[in-house]
Amino acid sequence: MRTILVLVRKDFQNFFRNKAAVSLTFIVPFAMIWLFGNIFGVNKKDSGPSGIPLAVVNASDNPAAVKLVEALQAEKSFRVWTKFVNPDKSTRPLTEDDLRPMLREAGADVHFALVIPADLVSATGFGLHLKILSNPRNEIETQTVNGILQKTIFTTIPQLLGQSLQSSAKRLIGDDRFKQFNGAIAGAVSSAFGGDKEQIQQSIEAGDFGLGTALGGAGKTPANAADATASTDVLSRIVRIENEQVVGAQVKSPFATSIVGGWAMQFLLFAVSASAASLFRERDAGIFQRVLAAPVTRAQILWGKFLYGVSIGLVQLIVLFFAGRILFGIEVEKHLGLLILVCTFAAAACTSFGMLLAAVAPNAEAANGMATFLIMLMSALGGAWFPISIMPAFIQQFSKLTLVYWSMEGFSAVLWAGNSFVQVLPILGILGGITAVVMTIAVWRFNRGKIFE
Amino acid sequence: MLNVAHLTKRYGALTALDGVSLHVARGEFFGLLGPNGAGKSTLMSLVAGLRAADTGVLTLDGVAIVTADPSTRVALGLVPQHIALYPELSAVQNLRIFGQLYGLHGTVLRERVTEALAAVQLTDRGQDQVKTFSGGMQRRLNLVAALLHRPKFLLCDEPTVGVDPQSRNAIFEYLERLNREGLTIIYSTHYMEEATRLCSRIGIIDHGKILALGTLDELLTKLPFEEEIRFPATPTTAGLAAQLPSHGELLTLDGIHRFRPRPDYKLSAFFTLVESLGLPARLFTSQRPTLEALFLHLTGRNLRE
Ligand SMILES: Nc1ncnc2c1ncn2[C@@H]1O[C@H](COP(=O)(O)OP(=O)(O)OP(=O)(O)O)[C@@H](O)[C@H]1O
Ligand SMILES: [Mg+2]
Repeated sequence: MRTILVLVRKDFQNFFRNKAAVSLTFIVPFAMIWLFGNIFGVNKKDSGPSGIPLAVVNASDNPAAVKLVEALQAEKSFRVWTKFVNPDKSTRPLTEDDLRPMLREAGADVHFALVIPADLVSATGFGLHLKILSNPRNEIETQTVNGILQKTIFTTIPQLLGQSLQSSAKRLIGDDRFKQFNGAIAGAVSSAFGGDKEQIQQSIEAGDFGLGTALGGAGKTPANAADATASTDVLSRIVRIENEQVVGAQVKSPFATSIVGGWAMQFLLFAVSASAASLFRERDAGIFQRVLAAPVTRAQILWGKFLYGVSIGLVQLIVLFFAGRILFGIEVEKHLGLLILVCTFAAAACTSFGMLLAAVAPNAEAANGMATFLIMLMSALGGAWFPISIMPAFIQQFSKLTLVYWSMEGFSAVLWAGNSFVQVLPILGILGGITAVVMTIAVWRFNRGKIFE
Repeated sequence: MLNVAHLTKRYGALTALDGVSLHVARGEFFGLLGPNGAGKSTLMSLVAGLRAADTGVLTLDGVAIVTADPSTRVALGLVPQHIALYPELSAVQNLRIFGQLYGLHGTVLRERVTEALAAVQLTDRGQDQVKTFSGGMQRRLNLVAALLHRPKFLLCDEPTVGVDPQSRNAIFEYLERLNREGLTIIYSTHYMEEATRLCSRIGIIDHGKILALGTLDELLTKLPFEEEIRFPATPTTAGLAAQLPSHGELLTLDGIHRFRPRPDYKLSAFFTLVESLGLPARLFTSQRPTLEALFLHLTGRNLRE
């Protein structure tokens, strides 16, 4: 026991010698908790997603359709887009034809769109017709969006539904007799319950039968869950929602394919600390003395490590994707060339961060601590763990600054959307840009750094 | 060939090199003799271009040695004080890598690797991982790894630490041969025997300063005596010891008195004194002073603490 205690003490003494490691031990957990709290929106009064981009096309001239759009705009979970922005920054209303290319675009923000068609209220039958277009990249996000969309539609719908009833009746009994009928009802209502007959008739003609109240709709919370389910059931039979998956419909193994990018990034990020650590190992072994006594520059050492890191990362990614192919049927070989390209750029971006850590950290332990923090930060922010759209809007701004976000966009552009080289090019450009910037800083720091002192 | 003038290097508050000036001519075997922490390795690393000096001039064949400019290093070979080899790789793999860093390839590289292994008797261990080598074997490999590119100028930083006498001799002979063939060598050590045996010129360094510089003979003439008489420091010799300081310098180290008579004090007078005190002659040895004595004289400390 005594021996063990001596050994334990030795470790503590070593640890306290290492100022960087000591401070990171305290800083990292703090930063982590703060970060995760913010990502999950722990401090927000009302939790839940906010600002999920949703494109809305209103092709109906029905005034109730405008109400639906307004209701969606008022829903804080959504950030509603109704305008198409031309290259010259002028705008026009979105049309259904804009939606499909928009959803397909690599790196696009919008994954869901709602179309309110011209035949929202059917002239020929009883019921409503809506269309949802999607690029369902993430199971959680898809379910969230569908849920909120249904809630919003169903709470706005009772009024629409009344209109639907009215138009059916009109068709069946003719305009004049229909007016008489409504008038008779209004008269009966006003004599039985009081109120102005004219007003009642107007509101009946506008479709307001009080269905909203009856069905627990129009912004009111149902008294209990059973009521809500019952009304939703009734409504879902009346409302016909057409779903169209714009992207990834032909993908054979949709679930695995849509999330494999996140796995790949998790995996790759560990290369960050590994590549930093190997530089420190070589330094601690004193080998750089010999290498640098040869006609070799510090920058060359760093670039050498970088290229090695990229190659190893690339090989591991390819193995990972092929494992996905064999085990889960992810269609890898169909897009092999592009996939390798995206993998290379993703690996390069990751490795560049490893090089930066090696250039700024005083020792391997510090580099490790920083790497842990960076891995968690970038994975969480970049959406490798849960969908970005579920994070608070404030945090979402930073997602696009992470290489994880862009790498995952790249993987899904290739595997999920089957994008072409030209379509993937912007993503590659961003990843390449991240790599270039980070490596420039790393080389600059490395040339000045303490790693050889 | 190598010109060092007023070179200063600080690590924070510590001045590791303090205005070092020296010149090493082509073909010299120059020794840098100094105790631990004297600044030998620091000077080597500056000459090798691993670190930048704070102030001072450092040129090789008239060209300034700049850390950022690798071209000055082609003519240079460095044997680091610590083993700088990839332990997981074989001896041959290590040598090939370091040869390639100097642009060697193909048959030339293959021949040089074979030669290098043979020169330090490691031919039959060439394919083994370096980590399986004994300390002395690693040292030998560490030495030849710096020679593959045939440098004109070799920096050897204590290359024989932990090497057995036989291998040490082999290394000495190898270095002497290379030196005869025209290689200029700076050899750092804290063994005065090594410096005495190998080096045509020696610089004595301590606390970042060059204390003395010259050939062995030149250095020894700096001592104010030509002979050193040693005898044990015991109660029987105490009476003698008490009388000596008026005739020269008396130092006591490790239970041994060292008496360095002033030039005007005759040895015959000393032995008359010994006889008169009735001390046996066998207690006394007389010897030519060594670099160690010089170091002691210059610093008041022993070379090896
Ligand atoms: N990287 C460093 N950081 C801070 N101080 C250093 C560093 N390297 C050396 N020193 C200090 O500089 C002084 C000279 O060290 P140096 O290694 O040059 O001595 P040396 O003569 O090679 O000694 P030895 O015979 O023990 O190898 C010493 O006091 C040492 O503590
Ligand atoms: Mg040293």
